[in-house]
Amino acid sequence: MFKMKRIPTYMLLMFFLLIAIIPFVIIVFTAFKTNREIIRGVFDMPEVWQFTNFEEAWNQAHFNQYFRSSIIVVIPVMITSTFLSLLTGCAFGRMNFPFKQALFFIFLVGIMVPQEAYIIPLYYQMDKLGLLDTYWALILPQIGMSVCFGTFWMQGFFAAVPRDLVDASKVDGCTMWGALWRVMLPIVWPGVLTMLVLFFIWTWNDFLLALVLVTKEELRTLPLGLAFFQGRHSMDTPLLAAGATLVSLPSILIYVVFQRYFIRGVTGGAVK
Amino acid sequence: MMRRYFKGYEPGYHFWTAYLFILPALAIYGVFVFWPILQTVRYSLFEWNGLDTPQFVGFSNYVDLYHDEIFRVAFQNNLTFILFYTAFPIIIALFLTAILTRRKIFGLTFFRAGLFLPYVMSMVVVGVVWRWIYNPIFGPLNEFLEMVGLESWKRAWLGDFDLALPAVGVIGTWVQYGFCLVLFIAGVQRIEEELYDAAKIDGANEFRQLWHITLPALRSEIAVAMVTTLISALRVFDLVYVTTRGLPGNKTMVVSFHLYQNAFEQHKVGYAASIAVTLTSVILFISFLIIQWRKRVEENV
Amino acid sequence: MKNALRLITILALLIAALPTVTASQAQEDVTLVVWDINARDVENEVADTLAQEFEEAHPGVTVDRVAKSLDDLKATTGLALASDDGPDVVQVNQGLSDMGTFVKSGLLLDLTPYAEQYGWVEKLSPGIVARNSFTADGAVFGEGNLYGVPPLAEMVGVFYNRDLFNEMGLTIPTTFDEFEALLDTVVQQGMAPIVFGNLDGWPGIHTYSEIQNAYIDRTYLDDFVFGRSEVGFNTPENLQAAEKLVNWVDKGYFTEFFEGVGYDDSWGLFADGLGPMMITGSWLSGELANLGSADTFGFFLVPPAEAGQPKMSVGGTSLAYGIRASSGNADLAAEYIDWMMSARAAELWVAAGFIPVQPVDASLVEEGTLFGDLVNAWTWLNANDAVGHYIDWATPTFYNTITASLQELMAKEITPQEFVEKLDADYQEYLASK
Repeated sequence: MFKMKRIPTYMLLMFFLLIAIIPFVIIVFTAFKTNREIIRGVFDMPEVWQFTNFEEAWNQAHFNQYFRSSIIVVIPVMITSTFLSLLTGCAFGRMNFPFKQALFFIFLVGIMVPQEAYIIPLYYQMDKLGLLDTYWALILPQIGMSVCFGTFWMQGFFAAVPRDLVDASKVDGCTMWGALWRVMLPIVWPGVLTMLVLFFIWTWNDFLLALVLVTKEELRTLPLGLAFFQGRHSMDTPLLAAGATLVSLPSILIYVVFQRYFIRGVTGGAVK
Repeated sequence: MMRRYFKGYEPGYHFWTAYLFILPALAIYGVFVFWPILQTVRYSLFEWNGLDTPQFVGFSNYVDLYHDEIFRVAFQNNLTFILFYTAFPIIIALFLTAILTRRKIFGLTFFRAGLFLPYVMSMVVVGVVWRWIYNPIFGPLNEFLEMVGLESWKRAWLGDFDLALPAVGVIGTWVQYGFCLVLFIAGVQRIEEELYDAAKIDGANEFRQLWHITLPALRSEIAVAMVTTLISALRVFDLVYVTTRGLPGNKTMVVSFHLYQNAFEQHKVGYAASIAVTLTSVILFISFLIIQWRKRVEENV
Repeated sequence: MKNALRLITILALLIAALPTVTASQAQEDVTLVVWDINARDVENEVADTLAQEFEEAHPGVTVDRVAKSLDDLKATTGLALASDDGPDVVQVNQGLSDMGTFVKSGLLLDLTPYAEQYGWVEKLSPGIVARNSFTADGAVFGEGNLYGVPPLAEMVGVFYNRDLFNEMGLTIPTTFDEFEALLDTVVQQGMAPIVFGNLDGWPGIHTYSEIQNAYIDRTYLDDFVFGRSEVGFNTPENLQAAEKLVNWVDKGYFTEFFEGVGYDDSWGLFADGLGPMMITGSWLSGELANLGSADTFGFFLVPPAEAGQPKMSVGGTSLAYGIRASSGNADLAAEYIDWMMSARAAELWVAAGFIPVQPVDASLVEEGTLFGDLVNAWTWLNANDAVGHYIDWATPTFYNTITASLQELMAKEITPQEFVEKLDADYQEYLASK
């Protein structure tokens, strides 16, 4: 079904695609080069594909530490936020109770208000709770933000579960709790998957929380590590490029594998 | 004794169950997000350096804000960013949508995935990459211009007073257009084929089809794209932090960065809170306007 | 009366702090958290060695050392000092905007008693003590208690590339006119003489100051920086310096597109031979010596208007070690600071190419090397009382104002007259608020 007259369309698409991905391609190439090669030409291929930059970024530039911190933060955030969002989603999607609208609105506020707006009191509150400079300072607010979206997102999926299925489970003597896990979860599973991917990307890329609430080098997450690394070594472009690649790789991998869910989440979640 | 049940989708479940389901999420959200949001409003009425006892000053922070030259510049810059974050990406994306729709595209998933990539990346990575691209001495942009014989087009980019703001803005366009495009493609796929067939029978050309069928059908996606990109434009922080820190002069100063500097570098916490409240109000107000507009348009149809 | 009160307060604080400190030190392992500015590779190595030796000499003590860039330190120190588990020892930027604010909020410990105990004052010249002193309420800069002890000397001058100097037939200038003639010569040979990158804003302050110092005198600068100047910033000399700076831009003395180049990139490019000179601080000496051999680069001070006449150069010291007021390990922290001020520390710094604040043993210095040049320059500055100030210390907002204004000036967004007026407005506003 290939037609010649479509070639301009493809050319145009390719053009915009290239603009979108070329900076990353250059960065990955650069990460394999030596400093001397950089000065010679940005667009040349590396002479020898060397992994030394990655090794150096990983070991000497502490990216192993940053990576560890990022993992320590992202996993509890994903698990807890998903679990809690299933509960709230089920409550808002399947049950009626006093002040339902008001409570739902309170959660919506959390989606609309930007992080920048409350980071200052959050800082002092964390200080009072003694949580500054701990992983908790990165995990708990991130869960707080995630459950707002999760509530909003899962609520729609739960509302769409067919009534008879839940009724049938009730006849079998299931509680709401039991029905949630045994009957409804398999049905809302695609929504959960999407949500997991979104939680990962948001948490992995978070900058402001880590910038303000954590000052210890060993607690810093990847984006923050990279930002300060730039201040110290911006001349060592290959090393910087290796660092940038290490920060991006997990999100790219997750994105490529789950891109269907991710795009559905962003577009679907937004359109509602 | 009668147990009281609340009228709901699932009769037979006591509504306390719902509260139990909501409670843990609400607790974490309440303590770490909602309460701080309320506190911001309170802080904004105090003069406080973050360490000593706060002094209640009423609305004087807001009065100072009104006279703050840097805040005014920052706010204007955020408004300029709307052009780069909202207008350009939506126009580019609509243009591409017009080309892509009505034709079967092989490898659409592939293109979609690639175009969307910048949106997935950490803004720090994006900033670091672009700061390097713009480097006037050894960055790829000037090198490229030299390679194609456009030596005279070389600039200091992020350090150039006229170009710094657009240079940062372009990064925003680059990040956002893929997002808008994916949104629009998803929308177009929902349009019923018959509409186009009918238009073709009426002899409408592609442009008319776009104007009379595609655009109206996409209005809800366009509204969403507008809200999300506008919010991004108004709250830019990471990108400016990594690329220019508001320099040169105050040419790329944005509200969020001004807020950050006041709160965490100059120890003017109350004042910074008043910036936060103002910023949030503007964001909520603009979102509200767009949502109202979308509603009105939908009612008219 | 006021002094007596202060003394009593200090004593009370010390007595309150002492028992807990000794108790905790005697019983359990102690972790001393240290934040310093030694983030570049060579400095980092020296600081690590010193910290390690400190641990070996103090069984049970672990030093948790965090190296941070200046930006990083500026953004996080205030918050960390206010927190109960912030760093015990931290390097603080002198001047009103950082050290002054922290003193005002009671975040830094008065080091006067420790200074007497360890004899730090003898190691520092009176001018340097003044720069680390504030009254206890943080209101007056330049007198009162000591709040910081700096380990390294610092001065701004001209690094030059000996190979390029030889190739172009250049000699070290002795007057400001000769210096400008030298810059012209390089321009005529088709190269931008001064490698410069001002994207980050602050490098411009040093360049401007070096020109300014050719026109102003010691009294004016002291009064201005310590907040007692009656004339402020809008003076003919400052205007002249601003005009000269713009003139240098016009003549192509600086790297093309310097507005868009970051500082770290700029010195990397200088080391790569992009141009023959770079006006910056001696803090780069270790890094530059490490990149080339000991005599690849040299250093001279920006010369005075007339040969031999004393001319100030921006300089003084590195950031100063301070102690968090709420630290439970104050005594140990003081011991750590003393360790950093020891003869052993000086020896290691010299070996790495840095100038410690205390006098350097002449036998360690080799003429004709970068380090030799630096020590000579430092000795000359001290002998002539010509260590100038960082003008961004003048008011709490001066740093932000001058970085933005200098960029505007060099991009000709504002005139030299508007430049001095803008800075004067900042200064007058501060004086009025005092």
